[in-house]
Order: sequence, then structure tokens, then C-alpha cells
Amino acid sequence: MQVWNWHGFFTYLTSPYIFRGALVTLWMTFAAMVFGCLLGLALAVMKRSRHRALSVPARFYVWLFRGTPLLVQLVVIYAGLPKLDIRLSVTACAVIGLSLNEAAYLAEIIRAGLNAVPPGQIAAARALGMDEWQISSRIAFPQAFRLIIPPLGNSVNGLLKTTSVTSVISMEELMQRSQILVQDQFMVLELFSVAALYYLFMTTAWDFLQRRIERRAERPYRRLSSAGGAGLPPDLAAASRDAR
Amino acid sequence: MIVLDNVTKSYGGFRVLNGCSATIRRGEVVVICGPSGSGKSTLIKCVNALEPFEGGQIVVDGMAVRSSDVSLQALRAKAGMVFQSFELFSHLTILDNVMLSPRLVQKRPAQSVREESMRLLERVGLAQHAMKYPIALSGGQQQRVAIARALAMRPSIMLFDEPTSALDPEMVGEVLAVMGELAREGMTMMCVTHEMGFARQVADRILFVDRGEIVDDCSSRDFFAGRCSPRAQAFLSSAC
Repeated sequence: MQVWNWHGFFTYLTSPYIFRGALVTLWMTFAAMVFGCLLGLALAVMKRSRHRALSVPARFYVWLFRGTPLLVQLVVIYAGLPKLDIRLSVTACAVIGLSLNEAAYLAEIIRAGLNAVPPGQIAAARALGMDEWQISSRIAFPQAFRLIIPPLGNSVNGLLKTTSVTSVISMEELMQRSQILVQDQFMVLELFSVAALYYLFMTTAWDFLQRRIERRAERPYRRLSSAGGAGLPPDLAAASRDAR
Repeated sequence: MIVLDNVTKSYGGFRVLNGCSATIRRGEVVVICGPSGSGKSTLIKCVNALEPFEGGQIVVDGMAVRSSDVSLQALRAKAGMVFQSFELFSHLTILDNVMLSPRLVQKRPAQSVREESMRLLERVGLAQHAMKYPIALSGGQQQRVAIARALAMRPSIMLFDEPTSALDPEMVGEVLAVMGELAREGMTMMCVTHEMGFARQVADRILFVDRGEIVDDCSSRDFFAGRCSPRAQAFLSSAC
């Protein structure tokens, strides 16, 4: 028996079946991150609220979803909902499970970011007559966003790999498809090496993207930077001359 | 213009403000001074409702601060405030800092707000820095932008909360110069400051605050001539 089958390795590496599995992994990560951020943002705001009617349910949610394994959550959704006569596709169950789970973690990240915005910035916005919504959307969230990019990026990286857990409810993503092919020729090592390479490629690409986002968000905080490059844009320079 | 009537505020069991009353007329420049922790900053922050207070009343330009039919936004648009630590929005350029509130809160048209903001920046001598971010400016420059930002709302009064206390000594002058000019143009100003030179030259009146009470309310001339309470005289002799 061969130790390592190069031919098998390259066949799997270029297999459209595996490639499409990786695409499923990608879009599941994207979907779960979008829904998770929206729900996480709502949870973070609720948790910070002075009203217990808002903060207590949010705290309960985070406690529940961070306190139980994703695997269990997925199975409960997949096997439990049909008993309530709610029938969802495997894909819907997988995305819902990932999103609900991710939201609990993102809520904590977003909450920490909002807490880190200096209170003086909020007071200044208030003194300028902004209402709470304007303060949140124009001052607090933009400043919190810059602070949470690193932990947020960590979450994306983690989620790319965590999607593999959805294979337990037979979601046909990268991991599940690799396991299906193993049944066929038993090239366990070759197949899972290919899967590992795919995951590595995706996380590396994300690393690169995250660094660019980070650099962009840091731009206002580097001393010798300005929004319009050197000098004033022409219309402002003209306005400035007129004023003089 | 501003009427403080028996304003009272406590933190827990501690009385920060104890029956403060004063009237500030249109165009008047009033300096509030007193020892640290005397309640000066708290008092000025009650005027634009950044600090809540329990007893008494404050009326700003006909609007009662603590009444349900006066919107906080409308009140704050009338009272521009400058903070000790500038508090320019760090993620926005200088120009966007100045333009944000007139656009967002007053919904004024972009082009005219932009032109007016540039004129204001020109006036505080910082138009050439319009596209920079706050971090690229010195403390004195940031504070001058903060003044322009407050003026962009076309306030009828300006509140200054120790505007030069966080500045290096060589930058104090440039900020005081802008404030002095504003005073000469007839702006109604309430100013918490330790700058006794500024108070002497620019202020019409001095409120001396100690332990939450307005101990002295007199003309700047009387105050610096020593026609004030023994507590204020003791403060003056240690401050100047």
C-alpha cells in the first residue's frame, strides 16, 4: 500500500466537487457573519441598556449560546424544529445555527468596543445637539468599529473553520464533501490535506483583507495623514481665499 | 439671557450645588472661578443639561432647561460648549467636525454649511488644516477648532469649561485670543477658567464659586480690586 498518493492528492485538489464545497464554506461564513453582526449589535445595545427588560433577555441569550456547544445547537435546530412542525432546509438550519451562535460572541466584542469609546466624545456630541440615534450612528459606532476590527477579524477566521461543524447535520460544505469522498477511495490523508490547504488559503486571504481594512480604519489616527492628500482640495482653497 | 434660580444638585449625599442663583444678560461675559471641586464645571454643565440637577430652575433664552416641552436638542443648539479636553471627533477631519452638527441636527444645506465652516476655520486661523484629522493638530489648534465647531451651530451663548487647562503654557494665549475676540463681538459667554489675567481683561462679571455656592457675584473691576468676600480674597492671593 502506498504511503502517499500524489496523483490522488492533485485529483482532489483540482476537483470541482471539493472546490464547490469550499465555496459553500465561504458563503456560509459570510452569511453567518452578516446575520451574526446584526443580531450581535442589537444584543450589545440591549445589554448596555439601563432598562432591565432589554438587558436581561440579552444577557440570557449570550449566556445560553456561549454556554452550549455549537454542535448541540445545530442538532437541536435540525432535529428539534421539525417536531414543532417547522420544516427548514439543511442550509437554512446551518446558517441559522451559525448565526445565532456567532451573535453571542460578536455581542460581547461589540459591547467592549462601545464601552471603549471615550465618554467625552459622547458628551461633545450631546452638547452639539445630536440625539441618541445620531450619536450612535455618527460617533459611537464608527469609533467602536475601529477598535473591534482585530477581534472581529479573529471571529471571521474562527468562523471559516467552525463552519465544518455543520457537517454533522449533513451540510455539504468543504468538510462534509471531503468525508464523502473518503468513503470512496479511503485516501484519508490526501483528502484531508487538500481540505486543510483550502482552509489555509481562505484564512490567509482573510488575513490579507483584514490588514487592509485595519490600515484604512487607522488612517485618521496616524499623525501625518489627511483625508485629501496634501493641501486643500481646489474648491476649499478658493473658499478659503474668498474668506480672507 | 441665562437665569439660574436656586439651582441645587447632589451626588449621593454630597451637595455639589447649593442654591446657585445668577442672571447673565445678553452680551455679557461672565467668568466662573473658584477652587478645584467647588462645583464650577458642574454648574456650567447644568446650563446645557449635560448634568441633571434636582432643585431650582435654569432658563436659557426663554427656554426652561428642565421642562418637557423644551427639546434638549433645541436647547443645546443655542448653547455652544467648549470642553477642557477639546473632544474633537477623532474619526472625522477638522472640516467634518465643524460641519457635522449643522448638517445633521439643523439640516442646513451642505454647500452653505461648508462655506460657513471654512469661514469659521479661517477666523480661528486653521483653514489650511481643514482636511487633516484632529491628531495631526496641537492642543491649542484643536481647541480653536472646537470653538469653531461650537460656533457653527450659530449659538446665542457660549459655554467654556476650563478651555485652557489641558494646554501647554505656550498654547494658552492663542485660545484666549480667540475667546477675547468672540467677547468683543458681543457673544454672551459663561467661562469656567483659572486664567485670572483673562478674567481681568475680558470678563464683565465674576462669579466666585466655593463649596457649591456662588459666594461672590460682582463686576470684574470690584472683584480684582478686592471688593469681594474673604474667601475670594484668599483664593485670589493664592491664584495670582
